[in-house]
Amino acid sequence: MSGYRGRGRRYRDDYREPVQETPEQRLRSTILKLGEVDPLQELHRVAKFIYDHPAGIPFVAECIRIGVTEQPHKIPYYAALLKILHEPPPPEIAPGFPEGVSLGRSLLEDFWKGFQGYLDQLAWREIRLCIQFFSHLTTANIVSAQSMISLLLSFTTVLDEFGVSQGRGKRAALCAVEGLLMAGQALKQHSATSVLDIINAVQTYVDTTTFLKSLAQPMVRFHALTEPIEGSIEILDCGLAAMKTLNAQDFANLSDIFPQPYLDGPEPVLPPFDLPSVLVPPEVVEMDTLGESSSEVKREEWPEYHLTLFDNDVVPDPMTPAGYALKSTLLDIIDIYDVNRKECARILLEFAKWTPAGTFRPKPNPPPGIEIPDPVPGKDWQLENTVVDNILGSMFALPDSRQRSMFYIALITELCKLSPPTVGPAVGKSIRKLYSFLGDGLDVEIGHRFADWFSVHMSNFNFQWVWKEWIPDLQLSSQNPRRGFMRKAVEFEIRLAYYDRIGRTLPEDFQNPQAQILPDKAPGPDYEYDDPVHPYHDPAQSILGLLRGRSEVADVVSALESLRNSLAESNHGAANLDSILRSIAIQSLLHTGSRSFSHFLNAVERYLPLLRNLAAGGISSSGGIPNLEARMDILTASAQFWKRNRQMVGIVFDKLMQYQIVDPTDVVSWAFGSGHGNGEGPLKVDYCQWDLLKAALDKANGRVMIAKKRVIALRKEEDENRARANADGAGNGASMEVDTDAKPDDHVESPALTTAVKAFNSLTREQKSVLSCTLDGFAACLVPLPSEPNKNDFAREVIQENVWHNRINWGTGEWGAWETWGWYRHFCGSYSAYLRTYSTTLGTVSLTRIEGSTDPAAVLVKKIWNAAIGVEET
Amino acid sequence: MAHVVQPLDQPSNYKDSQARVDRHRQEEALSRSSTLYIGNLSFYTTEEQIYELFNKCANVSEGGGIKRVIMGLDRNTKTPCGFCFVEYYTRAEALASLRYISGTKLDERIVRCDLDAGYKEGRQFGRGKSGGQVRDEHREDYDPGRGGWGAQAQKSEAERRREVEERYADTTGIVAGGGGDWRQGEVPNQSLKRGRSPEDDGERERAARSRLDVEDRM
Repeated sequence: MSGYRGRGRRYRDDYREPVQETPEQRLRSTILKLGEVDPLQELHRVAKFIYDHPAGIPFVAECIRIGVTEQPHKIPYYAALLKILHEPPPPEIAPGFPEGVSLGRSLLEDFWKGFQGYLDQLAWREIRLCIQFFSHLTTANIVSAQSMISLLLSFTTVLDEFGVSQGRGKRAALCAVEGLLMAGQALKQHSATSVLDIINAVQTYVDTTTFLKSLAQPMVRFHALTEPIEGSIEILDCGLAAMKTLNAQDFANLSDIFPQPYLDGPEPVLPPFDLPSVLVPPEVVEMDTLGESSSEVKREEWPEYHLTLFDNDVVPDPMTPAGYALKSTLLDIIDIYDVNRKECARILLEFAKWTPAGTFRPKPNPPPGIEIPDPVPGKDWQLENTVVDNILGSMFALPDSRQRSMFYIALITELCKLSPPTVGPAVGKSIRKLYSFLGDGLDVEIGHRFADWFSVHMSNFNFQWVWKEWIPDLQLSSQNPRRGFMRKAVEFEIRLAYYDRIGRTLPEDFQNPQAQILPDKAPGPDYEYDDPVHPYHDPAQSILGLLRGRSEVADVVSALESLRNSLAESNHGAANLDSILRSIAIQSLLHTGSRSFSHFLNAVERYLPLLRNLAAGGISSSGGIPNLEARMDILTASAQFWKRNRQMVGIVFDKLMQYQIVDPTDVVSWAFGSGHGNGEGPLKVDYCQWDLLKAALDKANGRVMIAKKRVIALRKEEDENRARANADGAGNGASMEVDTDAKPDDHVESPALTTAVKAFNSLTREQKSVLSCTLDGFAACLVPLPSEPNKNDFAREVIQENVWHNRINWGTGEWGAWETWGWYRHFCGSYSAYLRTYSTTLGTVSLTRIEGSTDPAAVLVKKIWNAAIGVEET
Repeated sequence: MAHVVQPLDQPSNYKDSQARVDRHRQEEALSRSSTLYIGNLSFYTTEEQIYELFNKCANVSEGGGIKRVIMGLDRNTKTPCGFCFVEYYTRAEALASLRYISGTKLDERIVRCDLDAGYKEGRQFGRGKSGGQVRDEHREDYDPGRGGWGAQAQKSEAERRREVEERYADTTGIVAGGGGDWRQGEVPNQSLKRGRSPEDDGERERAARSRLDVEDRM
């Protein structure tokens, strides 16, 4: 933007009106900025500032609460601040402060009200961070150990609730774990049995969730889905291990793990504060009356696995107390600052100063006058790698990442921009490590997200990657996940840039068509009838001409009809004339709109009636009956036209669904039918088909969501109107008679509501049908019927242990079947909330055929399904 | 978080100087908008590239997705002039783009996103004197992605450029809607022999859609 001296303010994002700070704002920012320069030195200054600026207890307590819940790295220092405020202030800090009054105590009382608020809303992260704060205060002897133990026990009580959801259980367990980690010493001195009770409660809970791990592990062994596999860790497992380790050491040396600035200074003279007792409120189940899917579809929660990308001498081992504490805080920072990735990156790169000295390797070339401390044995980790490790851990969590992947991708980009020489290598190492997991069991969805991240990241950094180190892998089978990754990465890069640009970044070996990495020409349309020798060249040209000339729909339809008649007479030996006509019409229409996405939309909108007519079988001999075959033909013709541009296939299918030319169920049927290799070869699902399946599933689910919101809004509106009418009626002293007369009207729905409910019901049916069609499709691929002509015999093979160990010799068939299993597992995990809603129907409709079968493939399909719907097999 | 740092998903201070509604109405429209203005694009960046990047903030399972992309064109030459509008179905997606895409690269340029009060006819054209964007009138540097020297005659470059320059030559100024909400009984099996004119139908569709859109945002 250099040189631009515009008159508008448009290009100045950072422009903000200068504002005069009020004393309250100054106080707030002083409290929130605690420690930005030197936390220890600032503590007394901030305390004095608070004494000097009386702003009321609630205000100061709120500032501290914001500090605690939005800056988890500062919690020990807020605890230290509170300790200072808790004790009688020395006269130089607060001259004339009344004796016997504890400001800290009043603040704590008010802080507690906020905590109770978080509890009422079940704001789990805030709850957990407040618990950390109380734990530090327990160690500082400001909060009584007995009341802290009671608090933690009310969270382990949650774990015993009947039918506790995984999300609630996991979060409650983490509250107990982290509370114990930070206050363990004081708590154990008070009651060693209580400490053991907490540990045992968490252990028991973890044991009951083992079967869920089969859907969440990032590395997959289909022959042993729930067994732990090297290369990943689970967060709650880590917390539990850390807690046990610390307990075995009687929680000695906690200050190696996190700072304990509150231990400086004298023991408190005032008696400790007793935290009131709490009850963790039950989860609210939304009660509306929309039938089966009444509760808001929440993503199901699973054990959270993170891949291990670095060795433990580079990043801390999260199974150790220090490693767990660092991981937990970093993950919280990453989560909290998703609203501003730039600030998030800055805070992460400054994280070392909030950890005990020697935790992270200091930056080389410190400013003059500052000495580099000696490394602490067993620590001296690398901050950037640790940060990247945690970001990627969150990004690759299964079945869904904590936040959308784009946040993590953008955050890593910011980190690289802030400190290229240190973050860049960490990113490069992560990419190599992830790549090495491919073909070794790395989950297919993670592989997909990896390619996505890779391409966006490279797009931000000039597409510079050292491709040549992967040249030897070009010898692998073409469906090997590593080759699949390279192909996908190049495809995604081209979409973000353009063909020639990406071609230039690849070594010659990759450009060789035999490598099957770079396509032989740029992605583009492929009008089948372009070739003058094509038997349908001339008729297609005539239709194309009409569409280009924007002829009326009726004219195009009659042209297609007369074309059918003439083709039927002439002997082209056409097996399916209807399909050919549809293909000509669709491909010609797409041709007129092939210049850009907008051109495509314009073409479609101009000829919507034609498309509807075609979808309804309008030009066919069957004439006008909604027609599955016609809709399949439309999808096939579209995929044919854009066969050299998979992105456009996705776009066209999406809009065909949006304009209601085809239904999501059609797309699913197509993806399992014609969608793979023209319906030939063994049934399987690869990432291209998965993308289409996902688009269809999401579209169906999204529509239900919109319809439901509309019904709820209309109901609410009607309730309000009714209430207002009743109030008016009561207000003008209406007689009893009128009231009784008015009653029946109360239950008459408005036409808008009736329509909305009807739409909701239709869409719910469609949603169910999409899910069941997908489940059927997977079952047909994985447990094929003996009569299935395209049955995939590899599906049964690749899930056997001995076959897996021989994967070095796998070919296209084996990898194709393995990938299909992977997408099935992901489908079950990612859509489990929906599958659970309809589990009875779906199970009956789609899985009856394999019920009771001892076929290992059938058993595995069932096992994964059961984990998805939350049923533990006995 | 919001108390400690400034969220990135706030609209900027830009006000559409040519909007025919008052500032208050503009602000209200902004507060409900699911449309983004995207600036600092290369003249050669295609809608599909834009779609690819912005689709990463789409959330179809919550009823979202990319509704349409409207490429900004030079008023006179009808060639892309470095900006566009991306319209999502939901506002949350537009906000996600502000958080995660604005300030990152597309086609090797750092793109800038801003909430926009919503596309109005004619806004796809540049407002600079020469037909392009105002900012390119004032630019004094050489920017190969934006036609070289500011507002100057452009030298012919690669094939990419020719394709781009021809692409929108056929623009009629009519912008597609992108498809509205699902409606009951949308798949008709009526014969088209009687035939309404497709334009009429398109108009009706559009009118119906904008009504739905209004409902959407209530």
